[in-house]
Amino acid sequence: MASADSDTQPTEAIPHAVKIIVAGGFGAGKTTLVSSVSEIAPLSTEELMTEASYGVDDLGGIEDKTTTTVALDFGRITISDDIVLYLFGTPGQDRFWFMWEELAEGALGSVILADTRRLDTCFHAVDFFERRNLPFVVAVNRFEGATAYSEEEVREALDVSASVPVVMADARERMSSKEVLVELVSHVLRSRQAALSG
Amino acid sequence: MSAERHRRHDRNEPGHDREFPQILGAHEDEEERFLRPYAVDAGVAGPDAAGPRGRRGAEQLEMLSLVVAARTPGRHEWLRPERETILMHAQRARTVVELAAEVRLPLGQVRAIAGEMLADGSLQHCGPTRPLGHSDILHAVLVGLRSL
Repeated sequence: MASADSDTQPTEAIPHAVKIIVAGGFGAGKTTLVSSVSEIAPLSTEELMTEASYGVDDLGGIEDKTTTTVALDFGRITISDDIVLYLFGTPGQDRFWFMWEELAEGALGSVILADTRRLDTCFHAVDFFERRNLPFVVAVNRFEGATAYSEEEVREALDVSASVPVVMADARERMSSKEVLVELVSHVLRSRQAALSG
Repeated sequence: MSAERHRRHDRNEPGHDREFPQILGAHEDEEERFLRPYAVDAGVAGPDAAGPRGRRGAEQLEMLSLVVAARTPGRHEWLRPERETILMHAQRARTVVELAAEVRLPLGQVRAIAGEMLADGSLQHCGPTRPLGHSDILHAVLVGLRSL
């Protein structure tokens, strides 16, 4: 460590910090995916939210604003000296919706993890990213005991456009999670090129 | 009103908990030894300041804003251990969200404390060493992910 008087002069390259959002319903495997592909054990911080949750939670007569703690888990992948990629899982419960805005701000894109046993739990995520024009892919996380649906069936059920990739995945497997991220970034690049040439 | 409730009421008076020395002061009352959350961030990170557009608009930090310590912890930091910890963890450039995870404080509080530290010069913003366009970043991320 430098002496107390000297200025700290960082000698290493300072990277760009970029992020990808991993969204999906509660229990869809977001943290599993982040863990399997992150170079570190996922870090966790929490955000204190002061929000009137009237109409969302049944607070039965509590009229004051309440402070809620929202856990925020994230992983990290060092791409190069110049770029560090962060993977943020969205808070699973719908009532933490308001945190998504900040998470989505400046994100490269999003992975929406779908559980075919409860596809409806990712409708919100699809709507959210469509409205913000943030590119996303749908990754169908294979759960044991879940009926195997085809990509087309999932696409139809979620009503996503033909350009949105729908891929099968196993969030527990590092290589599978990696492929999902590769699919997303390829999709983002294709979308950009289409936008530029169109 | 009981004596207990009455004492609590006194301590909730506006401004009282912002006086750091009073909280740490030589009160014999053993309840006074417990720091309230406000003391951690000197009253900066009230609930209104927790969000990205909190009331102290000047130095609101994004989750991925990069900061680095502009100095090593000084003699006075024992009064403010969170700042000391932040300075120690930020000897190398860190994102705000990583700092929050490392110092185990809520993101909103770290945002507020780091904002104050930027204002008083003990932390500095740092930008990427090599500027890259969005396309370059995307291509590099793709290559990097493929090679995992």
